[in-house]
Amino acid sequence: MVLRRKNCWRGGSIELPAPKWFVIARNEYRVITGSIRQMRRYFPYIVIGLLAVYVFFIAPAVVSIFIDDFLAFVISVVAVPVVQIILFMFFFYLMIVPISDTLREVKTEQLEIFLAAPVKAGDVLLGGFLGRMPFYVIAIGVITGTFMALLAPLGLDPVQNIIIMIVFVITFLSALWIGTVVAAILRTRLGKTVRGKDVGRAVSVIIALPMIAVMYAMIGGGLLQALVDPATGGTVRAVLSLLPSSWGAEIFVAFASHPGSIVATGLETMLRFGGLVVFFVAALWLGAKAANHAYSLESTSFTSPKAKPDGFFYGAVRSLGGGGSSGTLLASIFKDYGRRLENLSWIVYSVGLVALIAIFLSDPFSSPEDPLRILSVMAIPLLAGFTVGTVSRGKATLFLYRKSPNGLGKFVKARLQQSWLVTVPVVADVIAVATLLVPQVTLFPWLANVMLASLRAVASVVLLLGLALLIPVFAEESRERGLSMMINLMAIIFTTIGLEIGFSRFGLGFGKMFPNLDPFTAVLCDHLLQTAIISVAGMVLLYFGMRKLSRIE
Amino acid sequence: MKVVISTEKLSKHYGKSGQIKALDELDLEVYEGETFGLLGPNGAGKTTTLRLLNCIIRPTGGTATVNGYDILKDDIKVKRVTGMLAESPGLYEKLSAYEFLEFIGALYDVPSDVLKERIDDLLKLFSLDDRRDDLLEGYSRGMKQKVLIAAALVHDPPILFLDEPTSALDPRTALIVKDLIKKLADSAGKTIFICSHILPIVEELCDRIGIINQGRLIAVGTVNEILTKTKTKNLEQAFIALTGGVEEKELLAWREHRAAGT
Repeated sequence: MVLRRKNCWRGGSIELPAPKWFVIARNEYRVITGSIRQMRRYFPYIVIGLLAVYVFFIAPAVVSIFIDDFLAFVISVVAVPVVQIILFMFFFYLMIVPISDTLREVKTEQLEIFLAAPVKAGDVLLGGFLGRMPFYVIAIGVITGTFMALLAPLGLDPVQNIIIMIVFVITFLSALWIGTVVAAILRTRLGKTVRGKDVGRAVSVIIALPMIAVMYAMIGGGLLQALVDPATGGTVRAVLSLLPSSWGAEIFVAFASHPGSIVATGLETMLRFGGLVVFFVAALWLGAKAANHAYSLESTSFTSPKAKPDGFFYGAVRSLGGGGSSGTLLASIFKDYGRRLENLSWIVYSVGLVALIAIFLSDPFSSPEDPLRILSVMAIPLLAGFTVGTVSRGKATLFLYRKSPNGLGKFVKARLQQSWLVTVPVVADVIAVATLLVPQVTLFPWLANVMLASLRAVASVVLLLGLALLIPVFAEESRERGLSMMINLMAIIFTTIGLEIGFSRFGLGFGKMFPNLDPFTAVLCDHLLQTAIISVAGMVLLYFGMRKLSRIE
Repeated sequence: MKVVISTEKLSKHYGKSGQIKALDELDLEVYEGETFGLLGPNGAGKTTTLRLLNCIIRPTGGTATVNGYDILKDDIKVKRVTGMLAESPGLYEKLSAYEFLEFIGALYDVPSDVLKERIDDLLKLFSLDDRRDDLLEGYSRGMKQKVLIAAALVHDPPILFLDEPTSALDPRTALIVKDLIKKLADSAGKTIFICSHILPIVEELCDRIGIINQGRLIAVGTVNEILTKTKTKNLEQAFIALTGGVEEKELLAWREHRAAGT
């Protein structure tokens, strides 16, 4: 037998085996670079070359545009909290990258390979982390390179430069390592049940929302001013100072304030740098300890989710679907949609995003037409887009309809109804609340806004479903579905913005055509006309989308 | 005959008070060079047994030894002497067949010169040689199964655990796998533990079989011994007699209900 020609464990030949973490890291790297196998050998050199170009040429060139402002900033009182916040955001972002990546597609099947092999859990964790390291290095290199370019004109001595580089690398590696450990534990906890995977996808959708909130608060919410103010920023600053990213920020600002003089900040630097190193080592140690809990195929649940008998809600859905088989079809599609936490999570995410934009980035609504005008451009397409999503999960569902008589028409009708039933109430609620924020608003504009926004939601759903049918994606994977959703979203947002610009530039707006019209009525009329255009475009897309769907093999 | 797999009241219970018994007090011995088949309906505890014996999960009661190693104390040694073909394992779809087998070989510390030859031989054996550099994402289900069988063999272990080894295979490849299992047992002296619910495969390949239902081993012996014990003519009848089935008159009862209602 060929297989027995040489037998490794019976002493056929002597060779020191590679460490398991190295084997796993190499495999992880191969898997990630699987799509670019032809250039895998040159990939590290290409990355190093591009990073060098960025660090030595692009970053200094970009930084030189605002270097004077930066030099003034770095000696100001706001420097410490601002750098603290920026580093914290990078820390948080890098921490959630592996978590979000894992939660999006919680897979445990490959665990069986590792658990069946003579490998320790710590090796699996470390190997996976190191295998992704080349890609992490890109992110760390870009961030560190930018900060180093900012500091270059200050004339830091070589020791200060090296310490700052180490500080950045340690801080961000800590974040990535913590994220990797948490991701591995979550994979084990969530990956064994369909429900757990659904929870994972749902969390991956909204996990970035807190960071977006902080970013928007910095851009338009006066967060930085509040932080600098001793009356309002004391507590937040105290909390921030406990975070390892803040210790790095303090070293950064201290060096920037005392360039070329390591002695001036010697003790503080030593304490903070030492703290960072201790934190990193502790994180590594604790992560390795947690590895045994991070990799397991022990079942966590033997109870499968059960469907409750239809109550009033699904009774109403059936009626809204026309009763009979149409109603049953709508109720079935609605159940499949509503029982996926990921879908509900998209709604929470889109409403949260709209709220954040309204709170931090847009001017306060001062007249009744403001909510309708502003929310129609971005918010309504967003809410509709995240609800409509993709055509169906997997082609198998589609073929259920294809094989039944007139199934495709029934499917599209039911999908339209289901999307309307979700989108319209959400949009109506959002616009209702937004209009209430207008000072001294009366009932008529409030009702008009709610009705017209609902109509726009109806039209947007038609357009988005048409797009989804025309460029169908049937993937189960969140990543592919997310990409498809984003493309459709971009299409409808650009359509809406295009209509707005077109109306104002070419004098199509009712306000310009009929100068005597009051602004509110003019906006309502503009809105109605735009909604009609979107509806017609949507119906055309829906027609061609259905044709395409009927021909898919 | 030397016993290479021995379980003693091996149990795996789940739930707060252990009310879900995935495996309940399994006492079993498998001999060196033997091909043993574990038969059972879906959810009977076959995969749990394999995972326990391969130290992928830990028992809640009892213990077992594999090649003399205790599954509770010597898990690394157990894994070193066993090869496992899981029922639904995850392949690295972005690796080629060669890369995947190279990775698995490295996990089991196969020296690189031996590994290269062995991968070449296995790929030829399974007629995958001409597609060795294709990414696994482009393979059919049957071809993936071949790669997984090769992966279970790549470190040439003395004991093989095979969970549904011929599922998803075309008849020709299924025949190759069956012949390979026979050859591994007869000529190479491997001990092979097969879990399946495909009765002809088990009947053809296994020296002895065990029938498991709801976590309990309810029969063990050669096919003839089980037929004698159950007073049946073939393994299918014996299996139904032991695990239960549906009465013939129930098969079309759903139509009669409808007729009565209309």
